[in-house]
Amino acid sequence: MHKLHVDLSLVVVALLLVVIGVTMVHSASTVLSGIRFHDNFFYVKKQLLFASLGTFLMFVLARLDYRKLQRVAGLLFLLSLVFLVLVLVPHIGQVRGGSRAWLGIGAFGLQPSELAKFSLIVYLSAWFARYPMRVQSLIKGFLPLLLITGVTLMLIILEPDLGQSAVIGMTIMVMLYFAGARLRHMGSLVMIGLAAFVGLILMAPYRLSRVVAFLNPWQYPDTIGYHIIMSLIALGRGGLLGVGLFHSTQKFSYLPEPQTDFIFAIITEELGMVGAVFVLVLFLFLLYRGMLIAMRSTDRFGMLLAAGLTTVIAVQVIINVGVVTSLMPVTGITLPFISYGGSSLTLMLCAVGVLLSIARQSRIG
Amino acid sequence: MKVTDSLIKRRFLFVLLGTCGVFGLLIGRVVHITTIETKFYRQKAEQTITRSIPVYALRGQFLDASGEPLVKTVSASTVIAVPSQIRDPKSTAEKLAKVLHGSLQRIYRLLKKKTLMVYLRPYGRRIDEQKTRAIRKLRLPGIYLTEESTRSYPLGSMSASVFGVTGGEGQGLSGLELYYNHVLEGKKGAIRYVSDASGREIPSTNDTYQKPQPGYDVQLSLSTPISEFVAREIDQVVAKYHPDHVTMIVEQPSTGKILAMDNYPSFNPEQWRQVSPALYNRNLAVWQTFEPGSTFKIVTLATAIQEHQVTLTQRFYDPGYYEVAGHRIRCWKAGGHGSQTFLQVVENSCNPGFITLGERIGKNALFSSIKNFGFGKKTGITLPGESKGILFPLSRVGPLELATTAFGQGVSVTPIQQVMAVGAIANGGLLMKPLLVEKYINPETKEVVQAFSPHVVRRVVSEATAAQVRDALEHVVAQGTGANAFQEGYRIAGKTGTAQVVENGHYSRQHYIVSFIGMAPANHPDLVAYVAIDYPRPKNSPVFGGTIAAPVIGHVLADSLQIMHVAPSTTGIPKRFRLGIDPSMTQVLNLSGMKYQDAVRQMMNSGLILRVSVSGHGDYVVSQRPVAGEFVPQGSTIRLYLGQEQ
Repeated sequence: MHKLHVDLSLVVVALLLVVIGVTMVHSASTVLSGIRFHDNFFYVKKQLLFASLGTFLMFVLARLDYRKLQRVAGLLFLLSLVFLVLVLVPHIGQVRGGSRAWLGIGAFGLQPSELAKFSLIVYLSAWFARYPMRVQSLIKGFLPLLLITGVTLMLIILEPDLGQSAVIGMTIMVMLYFAGARLRHMGSLVMIGLAAFVGLILMAPYRLSRVVAFLNPWQYPDTIGYHIIMSLIALGRGGLLGVGLFHSTQKFSYLPEPQTDFIFAIITEELGMVGAVFVLVLFLFLLYRGMLIAMRSTDRFGMLLAAGLTTVIAVQVIINVGVVTSLMPVTGITLPFISYGGSSLTLMLCAVGVLLSIARQSRIG
Repeated sequence: MKVTDSLIKRRFLFVLLGTCGVFGLLIGRVVHITTIETKFYRQKAEQTITRSIPVYALRGQFLDASGEPLVKTVSASTVIAVPSQIRDPKSTAEKLAKVLHGSLQRIYRLLKKKTLMVYLRPYGRRIDEQKTRAIRKLRLPGIYLTEESTRSYPLGSMSASVFGVTGGEGQGLSGLELYYNHVLEGKKGAIRYVSDASGREIPSTNDTYQKPQPGYDVQLSLSTPISEFVAREIDQVVAKYHPDHVTMIVEQPSTGKILAMDNYPSFNPEQWRQVSPALYNRNLAVWQTFEPGSTFKIVTLATAIQEHQVTLTQRFYDPGYYEVAGHRIRCWKAGGHGSQTFLQVVENSCNPGFITLGERIGKNALFSSIKNFGFGKKTGITLPGESKGILFPLSRVGPLELATTAFGQGVSVTPIQQVMAVGAIANGGLLMKPLLVEKYINPETKEVVQAFSPHVVRRVVSEATAAQVRDALEHVVAQGTGANAFQEGYRIAGKTGTAQVVENGHYSRQHYIVSFIGMAPANHPDLVAYVAIDYPRPKNSPVFGGTIAAPVIGHVLADSLQIMHVAPSTTGIPKRFRLGIDPSMTQVLNLSGMKYQDAVRQMMNSGLILRVSVSGHGDYVVSQRPVAGEFVPQGSTIRLYLGQEQ
């Protein structure tokens, strides 16, 4: 028996983020859960439940050999696609916040797009490991992979959840680059991706209005600029040290859904610049550990899987904080480990579990 | 190119470095917002999260020259509720219903209303001292007491168009209320609290009450007794002649203070919403412009004397018309006044005489003098809606325009302009700016916040000229066209005016504006008074300023001087008795101090043809009006004031 090697710093940082998350979900959601469910602890209780489940799964996955994933990758991905199709069927998929994105009963629901995000990463990693050279070929590698990704994204866009598909699209692009795709293919892909993104924005008026609001929020303080302004006010109100935990006023129905997409604004309001920068540094450290694990991994699957999982975290943090600080137009992306959301939290912790498993194998090797 | 581990690792490194760069950007942005921009956003947050319920300040009052209120503010405590702050609407409603003796259900419904603030109508409005104290003692969250004020008008419709009206929130809408709104309104207070996006108070935050600051009282130059004389005269004119409009102004010439100003028709300011907006938006005394007619001859006369173009003893022959540029302008008197001195020209208000004066002065000097007297320009009275009037542009003044201007036609002026111009003659040659507001007074400390002193605009004629003009005008009253303004002992000087009104491009044969402007005592006038009566409709008598307007000014000046304790004088120009026009005069006996029965018997026995009316109760005559020694027309009424003691 080998002694269990765990990347302790990664575990500590991930759990620290979860603890901050649970605390902030509680602070941010008390008002809203009080109004909606007459229970100030409604959201935090659920978040705590998923945090526990996620942590449990994290340790289970850490103990397992991640290479088993390589074998089930195809099946997992297929299952995800089935879920993605199922969720689009009325009465089966539940609509929340304008998107038909949830499968499940009552308040507990699975977000198939979350699952698809991770299974696609696993599937691509397995594919790259199996055909290491094909990614350089346009016909045999690059385009078929894009097709697979495109179908997945299409299904998610139909929900519609443009934010989630943007996250997946960007992550897959980075993975293609990691896996050794030709730079000229990458260049064209970036162009096409941008064009598609612009096209999707122009197609839906609500997306366009978000861009307009982003460019000049103060011109529309009561309508499309409202989110951005309320978010900036929360940030600015926080100042250096914050107004103190639980003392946010922006969460009093000024900032809509403060426990999910705009939780970083509440963190900054209550804990100030110090708290916000602390959280960002934790994330940066997590990303650094993730990439270190990727670099130290001994096999191609482990390398690309670790890098892919790290990338998805990075993309989400960047978009989420970018939106909250008004560096990007409003997009509904959760802050990993922190935002309220069962599927997201559980799967993020599972991802950390897989990273831990990869780290363990590399040490043994 | 082979896909090697080292290639992949190199790409990992690139991406990691890029990520670090992006994170640097994010952190930089967070730092920027939370440090440099924090002040801006805190302000915005403050604006967003604090709700402010305005608490109106008590509006300042208008006071007359002696400090008595003309337009009052009546206030009482009123209960307001902020529904989102009420923790227990049920028990709050119960407690309030008990104190206010109101319907529990109605109060409860008000407390549950989804508004920022609600007045507890009707039980909680204008509550008495006792209820106020009881409510204050309850210290109910979300229940506040505030002072609510309304306007009250002790003088009724008197001078209503001068004061103007206030709107639903007490804001000035017209007249002095509008012009001095910034002084009267005070500073609103506020109830401030931290609220969530739907207006509910966020728990464990403080609310603050900022007391409103009451507005200043505005003390006017208006004299209530003189205003009452003016109102009485207007009433009589209206009853007798049924005119369209009447305007009256009384001024103190030495200071330019306006002592009275009123217009007919007036309105009840408490119910201004039910009358035509023209009534409360237009103060005819400063808004209306019309051809002044003969009153304007005062300006021509003063200019001619000032420019040494005439001495009043010079002779002039009036054939009854005057030929100007092919037009024959007739004198008002058919056949003319014949040979007369220029003093008689003034007494008779002879148009050809004044045309001659105008020609002697010349158009440049006459028009520059008219402008000097303030015509063609606003006087600057502190009232909204003042008009400028119209003068011929100098380039278009030919002989005909010069001639008509000299006797007051073809120019358009406001009543206030005429008063100020004649005021300059009265005070020895200085054009004053009308002074309507004397001071702002803090109603709490009674301290004078700001005082306004008389303002001389310019000297228009010399003292000597002014004195000569006054003398001529005293002759007008004592011996000329203004005879009906004569009041024994008060040395009234003045000038009549009768101007035809242009209707459909022609001078109307029925529609006249008759006016009279007078001053007294002539040697050193304390008062200038003016009346203009638009479209009087007398029965069976011609329309002349002398018969309709002159007595009005005579009465007002005499009564006003009496209450100002200006002693009657015997040095004035004696009245020329006009048989058949002027009534026979009788001297009043002294009846004061006598027993009532004795007084009446004495009156009968004396053979004086006088009537008696009585005020008060008692056996003794305490005083009388008019006083003993005064001359009154036969058939006049002597008012006896009775009392129990001698």
